[in-house]
Amino acid sequence: MMKEETDIIDQVVSQEYKYGFTTDIEMETAPKGLNEDIVRFISAKKNEPEWMLEYRLKAYKYWLTLESPKWQNFDYPPVNYQDIIYYAAPKEKKKLSSLDEVDPELLKTFEKLGISLDEQKRLTGVAVDAVFDSVSIATTFKEQLKEKGIIFCAMSEAVQEHPELVKKYLGSVVPHTDNYFAALNAAVFSDGSFVYIPKGVRCPMELSTYFRINAENTGQFERTLIVADEGSYVSYLEGCTAPMRDENQLHAAVVELVALDRAEIKYSTVQNWYPGDKEGKGGIYNFVTKRGICLGDYSKISWTQVETGSAITWKYPSCILKGDYSVGEFFSVAVTNNKQQADTGTKMIHIGKHSKSRIVSKGISAGKSHNTYRGLVKVNKKADSARNYTQCDSMLIGDRCGAHTFPYIEINNKSAMVEHEASTSKIGEDQIFYCNQRGIGTEEAISLIVNGFCREVLNQLPMEFAVEAQKLLAVSLEGSVG
Amino acid sequence: MSLQEIIKDDFIAYQQQADGNQSFTNIRKQAFHEFERLGFPTTKHEEWKYTSLKSIIEQPFRNSCEINADAVAMAVHSPLMNIDAHHLVFVNGSFIAEASSLKPLAANVIVKNLATARTEHPEQFDAHFGKYAKVEGAAMNALNTALLCDGAFIYVPAKTQIEKPVIIYHITDSTQFQTLSQPRNLIVLEKQASAQVVEVYLSLGANPSFTNVVNEVYADESAQLEHYKIQQQENDAFQNNFTQVFQEANTNINQVTLTLDGNWTRNNLHFYMNGENCNTLLYGLYLTDGHQFVDNHTRVDHAMPNCYSDEKYKGILKDKSTAVFNGKIMVHLDAQKTNAYQRNQNILLSDEATINTKPQLEIFADDVKCTHGATIGQLDKEAMFYLQSRGITEANATKMLLNAFADDIAERIKIPELVAIMEEKIEQKI
Repeated sequence: MMKEETDIIDQVVSQEYKYGFTTDIEMETAPKGLNEDIVRFISAKKNEPEWMLEYRLKAYKYWLTLESPKWQNFDYPPVNYQDIIYYAAPKEKKKLSSLDEVDPELLKTFEKLGISLDEQKRLTGVAVDAVFDSVSIATTFKEQLKEKGIIFCAMSEAVQEHPELVKKYLGSVVPHTDNYFAALNAAVFSDGSFVYIPKGVRCPMELSTYFRINAENTGQFERTLIVADEGSYVSYLEGCTAPMRDENQLHAAVVELVALDRAEIKYSTVQNWYPGDKEGKGGIYNFVTKRGICLGDYSKISWTQVETGSAITWKYPSCILKGDYSVGEFFSVAVTNNKQQADTGTKMIHIGKHSKSRIVSKGISAGKSHNTYRGLVKVNKKADSARNYTQCDSMLIGDRCGAHTFPYIEINNKSAMVEHEASTSKIGEDQIFYCNQRGIGTEEAISLIVNGFCREVLNQLPMEFAVEAQKLLAVSLEGSVG
Repeated sequence: MSLQEIIKDDFIAYQQQADGNQSFTNIRKQAFHEFERLGFPTTKHEEWKYTSLKSIIEQPFRNSCEINADAVAMAVHSPLMNIDAHHLVFVNGSFIAEASSLKPLAANVIVKNLATARTEHPEQFDAHFGKYAKVEGAAMNALNTALLCDGAFIYVPAKTQIEKPVIIYHITDSTQFQTLSQPRNLIVLEKQASAQVVEVYLSLGANPSFTNVVNEVYADESAQLEHYKIQQQENDAFQNNFTQVFQEANTNINQVTLTLDGNWTRNNLHFYMNGENCNTLLYGLYLTDGHQFVDNHTRVDHAMPNCYSDEKYKGILKDKSTAVFNGKIMVHLDAQKTNAYQRNQNILLSDEATINTKPQLEIFADDVKCTHGATIGQLDKEAMFYLQSRGITEANATKMLLNAFADDIAERIKIPELVAIMEEKIEQKI
């Protein structure tokens, strides 16, 4: 059994990344490096109004005063911020009115990724916004959404067409002063998605963004803002891939969610950035700031993430539960393999009375990887009857990996009920024996067990993504997961 | 004059009167330089995130080894004095022979004050002193090592048992001025030795006091130790208490910490398992009211395979008090078949009380069973209703439920007098 297991681990380690192709497409890039001119250049490229440029410059100046944080539970060589291209866009730059006008090379890329925009449009009824390097390429289903009053467009478009909304909410949840990477993003973000769901509207379809880093030496800094007005509902999906390269690439995105009275936002991520090769060379640094605020009473924000890619994943999708009776949820599966490192988790800040939160985190480490859960549950003085339940389980595959848990719990109110539970285990030999006995091979058995281990989280994903997530788990642990 | 400057002057004064023991003087010199390099920790340090030393650093504490007769009397009046045991009394870290009493001991067992042991048993002293509680990167340990007064030295040779408990009283006396007292205890158990040790912390006087303790415990193969710590200092007392336990294979250690009083308390309890099949139990109870602040930091290093640790800390918080808990379980590479459990449970009895808890796991081996949990809540409303509907007053019902809550910890204490002190304190505080 031990021998077999070692073989499987070896196979896991040797698994290759299948989205590692590049697309040969003419790119327009900014010169390498970061300075005030680059910020102005990006802003000018986007034809942005004056207030937007000011916001960027303010963020840039603030960023200059900061030092990159050092408290994380992983090592990485310092990032040279002057060696990154902050803007890269496919050159074809005329206004697109339909998918037919999109560069066929690009469409091919998305087809390879399994998101044929065209097909998706016909079959699944998911509205997709595809972001290639830093620029939003195409948004499907725009017209249908418009009828309901829903705005789903590229951030650059929203800045032009809905400045009042952008002005009101951009930076309201993640201010540029929030942290090092948020400041950097605010200064140089190039595009992203903007969603506004009007009062009382239930978004009829899943909204989805697909991020792809293609060009070399670029960083991707997209910015997503979702505003759900009173009584509305939206489910939003995000997926990402990148080509294989020897050097590390930085992805520092910011996602802001705002839920007003009785609104509900469900945000799902399947992250599959290039994780680097098995020696830990190359791969994406995924340093993302994601935060939602339940501004209104009875509002709800739910984060679901399946993290399988990236050399380093460092993010804490958080909820500020400001409204009374608001609900925050966080469901996460993080898989690390080879020399991948993950330091992820969530923050639940209870401010409103009777606010509730639930955290379910599943970490799986294999190879020589390290997987850290770090979370904060804070109950403020005025948050009467706040309730939190946290469960974080880790599974170790192989004896050279690590699993770490750093939960912070800060309680200032006596009526709070807070529970935290965590466990660490490996796949039990008796479990495998049980399966073997019934004619299920070891590989399949491990697959069964891992899938069962993650099921609570996978169940939270919308159908379209659950399938993809399961496939991804299979790819990440191929050889052990069927 | 800041506390750091006072400490510097004290150290210079100490150096002038240092005795001939060169290696001891060198250890202290190094420790002092380390302290100077590090300075007092601030809340920027992750380990001190919730614990501020600011209120201590701003006070002109005087490092003192002076003795006051009242303090001696106080120790004599402690209810624990009636226990049939070996009693060692220290005031401001100085040994009080007349208040101490020792029962007959087995051959080669040493129960003495550290200063005497250092000259009389240099071999045992040099082999263990300063070997476990590291000063590198640990400012408070460095401070203690540089300027320690005295403390208990317990040495149990192989295959020997100290039958009666050893009770160590540390009284910080601040009647004359704001006192900084720095006691130091060293407990060494050779192979298959066993002992029962109780540390009692008391204080005297209206001035604020600061007690900075370091304990080192070494348990050689198959040794057994029952170790209790009971903190009963008065309202204006600050205490930083560091304990490092170093375990060889097959050792069995049961440690209970009761924090019942004191204005500001920080405990660091660290275990390092250097051999297989170690068995470590660590339990704690903290009762806080008023503006009390209690911080328990524990760390269990599972450095070798097949070891077991079980940790449970419980807290009852009242008024505007604050408690901090940080439990770390480190399972080192190849420490397979580790079993580690950790729980922290808290009851908040007031809206103004604060609890910050961080149960932490760091695991580098795959064949392990580790769980941790933390809960924060109030008294069960249904249980309260049940009791009250049977004619039990609210106050009595509360007391019953809290005693039941604390019972898990109480049953780990094998000296009934300590349990009685604990229960009395619960009653008094509620």
